[in-house]
Amino acid sequence: MPASSMTDGAPRTRIPGVPSGQRRHVAVMVLVIALLLLGSQAPVYRVSQLTAVFIFALAIMGLNLVAGYGGMLSLGHSAILGVGGYTTAILINDARLTPLSTIPVAVVLGVLAGALIGLPASRVKGIYLALVTLAFAVSFPEFLKRFDGLTGGAGGLIVRSRDLVPPPWSGFTRAERGEWMYWLAAAALLLGFALVRSLTSSRRGLAIRALRDHEVAAVACGVSAARDRVTLFAISGGITAGAGALYAMYLGALSPESSFTVFTSIQLITGLIIGGVATSLGPVIGGFAVVFIPAVTTELTNGQAYGLVFGVILAAVVFLMPSGIAGWLNGLPKALSVHRHRGTKHDPERHDGG
Amino acid sequence: MTLLVERLADGLTNGFVYALMALALVVVFRASSTVNFAQAEMALFTTYLAWWMTTKGASIWLALIAACIVGFIIGAVTERTLIRPMEKRGEMPTLLMLVALFTALNSIDGLIWGLDYHSMDGLFPGGIDDYISVAGARLYFEAIGVWVAAIVLLAVVFAAINKTRLGLRMRAAADNPTSAALSGINVGRIYTIGWGGAAVLGSIAGILIAPISAQQLSLATMFPVLIYGSAAAIIGGLNSLGGAVIGGLSLGLAESLLTGYVDLIGPQMHQTTALAVMVIVLLFRPTGLFGSRLEERV
Repeated sequence: MPASSMTDGAPRTRIPGVPSGQRRHVAVMVLVIALLLLGSQAPVYRVSQLTAVFIFALAIMGLNLVAGYGGMLSLGHSAILGVGGYTTAILINDARLTPLSTIPVAVVLGVLAGALIGLPASRVKGIYLALVTLAFAVSFPEFLKRFDGLTGGAGGLIVRSRDLVPPPWSGFTRAERGEWMYWLAAAALLLGFALVRSLTSSRRGLAIRALRDHEVAAVACGVSAARDRVTLFAISGGITAGAGALYAMYLGALSPESSFTVFTSIQLITGLIIGGVATSLGPVIGGFAVVFIPAVTTELTNGQAYGLVFGVILAAVVFLMPSGIAGWLNGLPKALSVHRHRGTKHDPERHDGG
Repeated sequence: MTLLVERLADGLTNGFVYALMALALVVVFRASSTVNFAQAEMALFTTYLAWWMTTKGASIWLALIAACIVGFIIGAVTERTLIRPMEKRGEMPTLLMLVALFTALNSIDGLIWGLDYHSMDGLFPGGIDDYISVAGARLYFEAIGVWVAAIVLLAVVFAAINKTRLGLRMRAAADNPTSAALSGINVGRIYTIGWGGAAVLGSIAGILIAPISAQQLSLATMFPVLIYGSAAAIIGGLNSLGGAVIGGLSLGLAESLLTGYVDLIGPQMHQTTALAVMVIVLLFRPTGLFGSRLEERV
């Protein structure tokens, strides 16, 4: 397993018939933009759903750094999402900043929050670390209620829609806020995607995966476990807090019990597991899962059954498809080629480090 | 003085319940090296069941027995079907299974019994006049009942683990599964029994806390107990039975005194207080106060 997990995120196996290198990059970009344009033509509520998908995908992308590539299960990402969201809402309401200019602040605070949650990771491991991150998730709503002068307490915060109008240079009118958010979230997601890709394929990314797969060996090779783990949590926090900032701009209303409890962390984790841990596309698939599973179950059962559905799907994916949908797709070409060259030695690819 | 005694009594009542939950988590940890995130939700299910039986006219003691039996079955089945297959796949998949069970069980409770708050009768008289005065403070019988019940239960558990053949097998299977298996112990069955037993402890803790909980009986009743229980287990050391009890009691007392006397913390920050204590302990002793160190062989 240690050897096989090293390959994830690294250059993919060549697929016959698919162009490689620069040309492939251009082709993928054109495809992505075409899909985004197609999505923007959907009915208004679909565009809104897709915006939510992008925002959750970005949040899961942050989680994937820690839980997927780092192999450290974090239940604290709901708190980081909340830090981003509340930063944006408070700065718009109280400091009268424009929505866009709050994002960098939210990201910086997210980096700090991530580092704070990750600090114990330099000393505490595995199940103990999961419980420490859970502590942050549980404490966050209590903090919001305690400091209600700033956060609005249990009642939450509302950002008036006239404070959320698209900036004039964007060319979107006030009525087109939905489309503006769609493109903003899409751009943020692409940015996050590029950041995670370049990070995980860098030397540092390799070191982080080495730590996950065999800590003793990695440390013996000169990897600084403590520094790399805290850095990873910090970057992860920045990305997820960015998603939180967008979430605040998207919803225009925040409350501690609705969006930032442990259940949100569980949703993000479920999305990541369904999509595929330690894969670059997994979080995007996960974003779709997180948004559409509740939507579909509410239509079907007209009640609170989505916790049950989430649980059943999470268990089923862990049982049957440990590398998630993206991992399964990544494995397809290889599995097919193995079928073709029966008898060649093959180490079954598994991403179960995450 | 009166206030102090009342706060100490409150802390002790909660502390005993946390100790039971922590003990359940430790029993599971010793078997499967994981923290049962779903422990409290299993207990919530059986507590709802007991409450539902009492509304149908059954006595609370009969309901207690039924809850314990159902709890044992849930715990044992979980171990056999969800946890054992994950044994070789490592920590994270096991944890994810339990997270899945956690959300699923809570949702099932909501689907069966609804989102309302229910007041539940306790095992002990809970009337407004059922108290004795100590230094001007009122010690209600339902609180004293919780102390007595918890002490008896703890004594039974420790006797079972330290004095019986089953307990000996449990200790052997926890300390060294391979040697235990070689000397003829069915380690798998021992683990299943351990999970079942832990769920019974949880069921009793649920029925003890629900009548006196601020949440009454609702979907949110048991989650805080899990938080305190796991904090207590971590503080004591996840594989130390005695540590769990000490952790639970000291956490209950600390919670009551800190939130009572330190203004900055105030009444909203109960769980944060407990968890802050846990994180601080972990930073200085990564396996808790009484836990044995993890060793890694290269």
